[in-house]
Amino acid sequence: MRGIRARLTVTLVALVALTAVLLGAGAYLFVENSLHAQVLRDAGAQAKFDLSVTVPARNLPPAPTCTDIIDSGLRQTFLLRGIDTIIDVDGCEPIVSDEDLVGVLPTLPSDLVERVGNGELAYAWVTVDGRPSLIVGGQSGGSGPAYYFIHDVSALEEALAQLRLALIVGTVILILVALLVARAIARGVLAPVEAAGRAAERIEGGDLSARVPVTSDDEFGTWAERFNRMAEALADTIGRLEAAEAQNRRFVADVAHELRTPLAALVAEASILREHLTELPPDSRRAGELLVTDVGRLRTLVDDLMEVSRFDAGAEQIAVEPVDFGDLARSVTAARLPDAALVLPAVPLIVETDSRRLERILGNLLDNAREHAAGSPVEVALAVDRGEISLAVSDRGPGVPPDRLERIFERFYKADPSRHGGSSGLGLAIAAEHAALLGGYLTAANLAGGGLRIELRLPVT
Amino acid sequence: MDARILLVEDDPSIREVTAIGLRRAGFTVETAIDGQQGLARFGAEPFDLVLLDVMLPRLDGLEVCRAIRRTSTVAVVMLTARADTIDVVVGLEAGADDYVKKPFEVPELVARVRAALRRAGRGPDEADRLHLGPIAIDLAGRSATRDGETIALTRTEFDLLTELTRHAGQVLSRDTLLDRIWGYDYLGDSRLVDVAIQRLRAKIEADPAAPTLVLTVRGAGYKAVR
Repeated sequence: MRGIRARLTVTLVALVALTAVLLGAGAYLFVENSLHAQVLRDAGAQAKFDLSVTVPARNLPPAPTCTDIIDSGLRQTFLLRGIDTIIDVDGCEPIVSDEDLVGVLPTLPSDLVERVGNGELAYAWVTVDGRPSLIVGGQSGGSGPAYYFIHDVSALEEALAQLRLALIVGTVILILVALLVARAIARGVLAPVEAAGRAAERIEGGDLSARVPVTSDDEFGTWAERFNRMAEALADTIGRLEAAEAQNRRFVADVAHELRTPLAALVAEASILREHLTELPPDSRRAGELLVTDVGRLRTLVDDLMEVSRFDAGAEQIAVEPVDFGDLARSVTAARLPDAALVLPAVPLIVETDSRRLERILGNLLDNAREHAAGSPVEVALAVDRGEISLAVSDRGPGVPPDRLERIFERFYKADPSRHGGSSGLGLAIAAEHAALLGGYLTAANLAGGGLRIELRLPVT
Repeated sequence: MDARILLVEDDPSIREVTAIGLRRAGFTVETAIDGQQGLARFGAEPFDLVLLDVMLPRLDGLEVCRAIRRTSTVAVVMLTARADTIDVVVGLEAGADDYVKKPFEVPELVARVRAALRRAGRGPDEADRLHLGPIAIDLAGRSATRDGETIALTRTEFDLLTELTRHAGQVLSRDTLLDRIWGYDYLGDSRLVDVAIQRLRAKIEADPAAPTLVLTVRGAGYKAVR
């Protein structure tokens, strides 16, 4: 987004700047050249006229001396006409029309002096007495003294300097305007893109009602309409999926609910049967024992299904109170797996949480250890680690293949499909849901040397 | 123990097996298959305890319980499929003394029935009066009054109030209260205590939201002010 805006701006400004500089420089050079040529033409014409008309009219000898020149009155003539003149005569100081010009002759470019000495009419742009000037020099009739006519062009140069300044200021202003215009254009061009970005962000965040405003019928408008159609299709599909999912969940809840009444009868019946198993003949007794066990399994499954469907209904609320984690770990372990070793911190760890859910989590983790690592030593460890409470249950059983570690928290996931234990396959999923409700999470890791460690991590609130 | 129990349950299997279990435990059991029949039976013969399913056809268990309470202080134990707090609240409000969550194992039910009967049979052992703030408790008459006006308390609420008042200033944990009031000798549902306390407060406190007589001690339990 910023990239496009920057590129657009830079490109537009560069284009405008280049155009302005080229046009300005071209126009300036053209003006400067023509003005200089004009001045040069006038100065050349004056020099030619004076060297071919004014000087010869004095009837000087072919090699005039200083005295001849001074006596001829040429100096006065030029002075009167306002033409600054230097006359370089062999054998004496240069004759000048103005006292300011004494000492200028040696500062003239040697190139000019040489060409004038060769009888050419030559000129040079120099600075005389601090002023930009045009000097035109020549000899009268191709020999004799050298005449240098000095024209003050400072007014012209000043005008050119002003023109330069005006052009530079103009160019800068033009570039600034171009910058503003470029930004405005970029904003205008990118506004729909940004709106689309915001809409996409909202959709990403789960708000499927987000749409891009269709403000033009150009390519962007077409694109926006297509985007909106896509969002609508997405919302439709997800809506259908959600409806199907909700129907599924209702079905699970209904099934679990419908199972409750026959299950309640079964549980009561099995509880009576269990007390009289010894009175049955051996074969019937075995069948009775299995029946009692299986009723227990069915009860666990239905209870877990009910619990899962309560989570799915999103109707769960938590009731926090100060809970002594050590006490809770001790009592739950004593009830569920008394053989497990307890590793508790030296000081009581009392935190506001929902004790019922915490009991359920630890109970399910212990059930899982008992189920999948039958007979192996189990350890329950409570600690505060990096600002979180860590409650971990470690067994020394077969562990879980690493690629399936994360899947053990899925519903009905069985690490070993051939195993027929008393668990519903929902215990860890339920524990994970409870952990999430308490603001924490469960992680699983295989232990070096075999065994599985499932850890509950809770923020200390 | 030759106590007479009325079992009102619509599911035939549960009704039959529960009756078998209770009879084996030494009780005399009469059964009814819906609320109306239950009420009729209750009116016709004397009973020591009524086991009431909440979800009953024709007249539900809560209605039956309310109807029984209008004329009798017999022990009532509700059988509820949903042990949600809302069911517990509504059940206790209707005047039930306890509830048993379905599915239940018969020995568990028998234990709860025995506990409820023990409490119901607990006679007035002290001809004494206790006081909690403006509340006067008449142990002999099993009634509580405020400024001479009788407060309608259920048996459970009365027992709870008495127990707390006897140990005024002392914190009683939920488990202690479960044990002493409901007679559970195993880990029960401490929500029962919370709900009963709320019900009691609603009847005796001037402002149940800001109790001044029965206080909650966070993480520990409840206590009556001295």
